[in-house]
Amino acid sequence: MSERSNDLLAEQSKGSPQAILQAEGLSKTFEVRSRERFGRKQPVKVLDDISLTVYRGESFGLVGESGCGKSTLARCLLRLLDLSAGRVLFDGVDLMTLDRDELRALRRRMQFVFQDPFASLDPRMSAGAIVEEPLHIHEIGDQRERRRAAIEMLADVGLTAEQAARRPHAFSGGQRQRIGIARAFVLRPEVVILDEPISALDVSVQAQVLNLLRSLQDQLGLTYVFISHDLAVAEYFCDRVAVLYLGQVMEVADRASLFSNPLHPYSVSLLNAVPIPLAGGRARRAKRPPPIGEVGSVVKRPPGCPFEPRCPVGRGKDICRAQRPPITEPAAGHQVACHFPGELSVHGARHNGESTSLTGS
Amino acid sequence: MNGRFTPSEEPAVSDELALSVRNLSTVYETGYSLVHAVRDVSFDLRATERLGIVGESGSGKSALALSILGLIEPPGRVLEGGIMLAGRDISKLSDRQLGAVRGKEIALVLQDPSSALDPVKTIGSQIVEALAAHEPGMRRAAGRRRAAELLREVEISQAERRLDDYPHQYSGGMRQRVAIAIAIANNPNVLIADEPTTALDVTTQAQVLALLDRLVDEHRTAVILITHNLGIVSDFCDSVAVMYAGRFVESSGVDHIFTAPTHPYSEALLKCVPNPERLAEGPLPAITGFPPDLSKLPSGCSFAPRCPVGRDIARCHEQTPLPHLVRGPAGEASVECHFAEQRIAEVRV
Repeated sequence: MSERSNDLLAEQSKGSPQAILQAEGLSKTFEVRSRERFGRKQPVKVLDDISLTVYRGESFGLVGESGCGKSTLARCLLRLLDLSAGRVLFDGVDLMTLDRDELRALRRRMQFVFQDPFASLDPRMSAGAIVEEPLHIHEIGDQRERRRAAIEMLADVGLTAEQAARRPHAFSGGQRQRIGIARAFVLRPEVVILDEPISALDVSVQAQVLNLLRSLQDQLGLTYVFISHDLAVAEYFCDRVAVLYLGQVMEVADRASLFSNPLHPYSVSLLNAVPIPLAGGRARRAKRPPPIGEVGSVVKRPPGCPFEPRCPVGRGKDICRAQRPPITEPAAGHQVACHFPGELSVHGARHNGESTSLTGS
Repeated sequence: MNGRFTPSEEPAVSDELALSVRNLSTVYETGYSLVHAVRDVSFDLRATERLGIVGESGSGKSALALSILGLIEPPGRVLEGGIMLAGRDISKLSDRQLGAVRGKEIALVLQDPSSALDPVKTIGSQIVEALAAHEPGMRRAAGRRRAAELLREVEISQAERRLDDYPHQYSGGMRQRVAIAIAIANNPNVLIADEPTTALDVTTQAQVLALLDRLVDEHRTAVILITHNLGIVSDFCDSVAVMYAGRFVESSGVDHIFTAPTHPYSEALLKCVPNPERLAEGPLPAITGFPPDLSKLPSGCSFAPRCPVGRDIARCHEQTPLPHLVRGPAGEASVECHFAEQRIAEVRV
């Protein structure tokens, strides 16, 4: 286990970890026009009864494939979207009970970094103005102070005062993502949601942005919610990880437990499907059966476990088809929603106790 | 001639050449500058070989694929180069002659399957079209039967019925299967797949790789897989070429690159992939600087300005490195670095 998570555990054992963001029974329903019902509107439960706790100072990962609801969940956590059921507590305050002004005041403390650095920045504004804008919106400081804060923040993400005058098109993808990060961090938030912050970037640039996010977290003592479809990146970056499938939580655990001892067959299937940049990949892959079926849809979520139709363990089993598995906690802090947890083990390199990590050395 | 692949312990790959590229150079000419996208690239691809080409955006890997297929459009232009497909030079063919080769002897699968499919035509009619292009006068019923066979081949269930669906009724993974079905409709000898799984979920990606496996095994197709993901190279390929600034800076059998990446760029590329076991070592070793402007290439080695080895060495900035053939613990490699011999003795992942 790494130094980092040791530190975190040590910190946690001193006092109980402090929850900063909590989802309780969170559900989100969208009205979708369905072709099969002659264009009539049909409610689709995109998030289905999600309960999670994010602790202060940690990096909490939300991972899953497309349609699992990770981005919708992130937006609900900051109440950028209203919930259909359940509640979200930010530092103990129920976000749904706040009025507009109260919510706006709280928004200073929670920020969002988006995936696409090309779409999320206003092309007509200079980098400096983009970073300054949130200070303006929240009426912080006078014009000169705001200007200075923006320049300092840009310097923190590695951009010069001279570059502050340039517009987004003059920057590379990695630099644009730095501007997006500067804009989110200039308010000194406590929680930042990072929605696939590196997926649109080249590998070498990904490393730079991950390093930047790490060092800002160490400097500012931030809490991150890190959304990723890439398990290897989540394993590298996150202290704890939640695996989502079709709008439900399949498994939550700290990094070490999830990646060395995944209990949910879906987590195992995901881990098995991630290509690892190590010698012998073909031999490793030959030992693992290819995943069954396709990612399902929340429109036709099976009544029992959503993963049942693709599950190597539960496919066709009555209990898996009929009953949504309750969330159990087989080990402290390791939660899983499965009728047969731990039944499927990880194949390949990680099987023989050689290496327990995705990108092992 | 530079890159010559020597898959180390892969007797499964035959000696029969499927494709041979010699001194291929492609430029894009704008009013202001000449962008050198592919610079004097040579390589051989044997029947059933799976070659991975890795590189970052702008390294020239897609331009190389389009050049091989004769699909470079103005302001781009292939300057020179021989492209031997099963012993015949296709680089000098007219567009019409090339049309008869493309899709029949050599085919392409793109990253975004939606862009390869016409949204207003049924899946079946698009597959039949691909078949009929190389078999004029094919009977309707025969075409439909072949199309259904192809859908079954790419593992789409209820193939007969799904022929009449439109692309939007298919999922992303299924659309990519259809794109593959169309690409293999005429049983090509060479399939070029440009980031074929990048838009797909990881579980779907694993299925598409398994499908490509079967293609190679059953039809003896040679595959060029273009990707930015080194994990996919390890999972699928026999051999690999690392592309930087339009050149193959290192080419070898697949195990070499993951054991003893010899070019400093290859090593840097491999090491900046997040590795949880190196968390304690501090920040990820990111590559400093930016890829060079392909219209203003530096003299000497194009990686020199960013290179941890050669940055301060005059020779690297003055003299273009020739390919060095070196042998490491996991086979031979051709490496365009002045320090290839020293490095192969030292560098291990």
